[in-house]
Amino acid sequence: MSKSGAPAFPAIEVRGLSKVYGKVDVLSDIYLNVVPGEVYALTGPNGSGKTTLIRTMTGLAFPTSGEVRIMGLNVHTQGARARALLGAVVEAPARFYPQFTGAENLQIHARLTGLGVGPGRIAEVLALLELTSMGGRRVSEYSLGQRQRLGVASAILADPKVLVLDEPTSGLDPMGIGLIHRIVTGLATSGCAVILSTHHLREIATYAHTVGIMTAGRLVDTIDLRTRQSAYRFRVEEPAMAAAALEKLPFVRRAAPRAPFAIAQLNGPDHVPDALRALGEQGLRVYEASPDHFDLYEYYRERVEHA
Amino acid sequence: MPSLISLEFRKLLSSRSTRLALIVCGLLPFLWSVAPRLGETLNVTLVSGWQLPAISIGLAVQYLMPLFIAIAVAELLGTEVAQGTLAPLLLRPVSRSQVILSKLLVALTLPFLLVAVTFIGALLAGLPIGYGPFSGGTGFGPGGFVGLGEITPDVAVQQLLRGALLSSVMLMPIAALALLFGALFLNTAAAALATLVTLIVMRLLTVFPAAVQRLMLTNYTNLYAIQGDVSQTLTLLAIYTIGFSLMAIFAFDRRDV
Repeated sequence: MSKSGAPAFPAIEVRGLSKVYGKVDVLSDIYLNVVPGEVYALTGPNGSGKTTLIRTMTGLAFPTSGEVRIMGLNVHTQGARARALLGAVVEAPARFYPQFTGAENLQIHARLTGLGVGPGRIAEVLALLELTSMGGRRVSEYSLGQRQRLGVASAILADPKVLVLDEPTSGLDPMGIGLIHRIVTGLATSGCAVILSTHHLREIATYAHTVGIMTAGRLVDTIDLRTRQSAYRFRVEEPAMAAAALEKLPFVRRAAPRAPFAIAQLNGPDHVPDALRALGEQGLRVYEASPDHFDLYEYYRERVEHA
Repeated sequence: MPSLISLEFRKLLSSRSTRLALIVCGLLPFLWSVAPRLGETLNVTLVSGWQLPAISIGLAVQYLMPLFIAIAVAELLGTEVAQGTLAPLLLRPVSRSQVILSKLLVALTLPFLLVAVTFIGALLAGLPIGYGPFSGGTGFGPGGFVGLGEITPDVAVQQLLRGALLSSVMLMPIAALALLFGALFLNTAAAALATLVTLIVMRLLTVFPAAVQRLMLTNYTNLYAIQGDVSQTLTLLAIYTIGFSLMAIFAFDRRDV
């Protein structure tokens, strides 16, 4: 999913971020990195601190301690320079001046970027978000989903290096959700780092690279979906022995028993016949081999319940 | 910065409260021009159209304009917060100081706008009464409305422009104060109310010694009528305006949005 050879330096870097409101710890010692080309999905129960984290990462809120850097620039002390690299929608649905048209709102944002974003680019993003026919109408006439799409259009207006979206598919119909997925994936492929918050776990599992789970202001787990999606399961009589045998193979990154299966993370699907051959050579009979689809929803539920 | 200022002006002029304020300020002079008990109440005998601007501005500047300014300026931040457009604005590569300064600049022009509309409304309403030389006073010059003898149109215009300018300047600290409360509360109603309460409390401080009273902003709501050197008063008003403005910038700079 990520571009091969993508640079490893973080596009967005959160270090020891904490935020206290009165006596309440809203965010506690958060560390996270997102590299260019990566789609990072932030999830967690309501009130877990996702929105506060996003508002602090984008410079709208100030941390009690810690720092946030966008492409190496501190968001809170080098704000304007850092935000020149940022596109963000921090509220769902996105908010605009209702008395102005969609195109006028984009013009306002284009002028504020100071990057010479012209009418051509405005027309382009309106077309990309399928809003060309709505561009000349006042935002007060937009539906929830149209405002949300206009929000994404505004966020990508100046070709950001970092895109931050708070619940970008909220209020969208299935076509709109698909459109946002395609845009996010396309931007990530071109090297943009994307952070989004969402509750739609099965949806993000299809295109996010990393998922961060938050509960009670803490980032309790970070899951690299790229490694999870390369797992295969082998139904055998002796899962523990099979896992031990698989673990020794050079193309197996990790193996573990989960009765009645031995689960192995392979370097690629091409190695499945090799794994079957190796198990056969060990005298272990394999009744079934199939991809071990990672159920993010189940994992999340378990993780949040035991956090 | 020019983009932000232009945006703030567009928002100010499209807001309902500003439009209402402009309509009221523009139409009230017509009401005063036909009011049957004006002479009895204000002790003014309307003999020339040149007197109507001072009557209109003098009546509006005490309560009506501070009220309009408090609400319209509080809305500059309050409405943005309420409709959620402040965050998208601050996500752009502009500093918070630039955002609040552009709002401040627009806020400080509102008194001039309201006074100018009142002035123009009064000049139009005074057309039937006439604009020739007359015996009496414009209300903004020496001797108030009674005057010191005959006044030519040239002198009347000079007196009216001076009075209108001083009235606008007198209202500037109120605009800055409303923006300060806007930055502190991020809510239109709370900021407007706090501004009006502050002005009322300042008026009530007449019970304090004269030295304290002289420092009160509300002591100079009749600045337009003061003749001679007003530099000390203008300095005090400038200190108020700059002080409130700096506090607004500071309050907004590290405010969570």
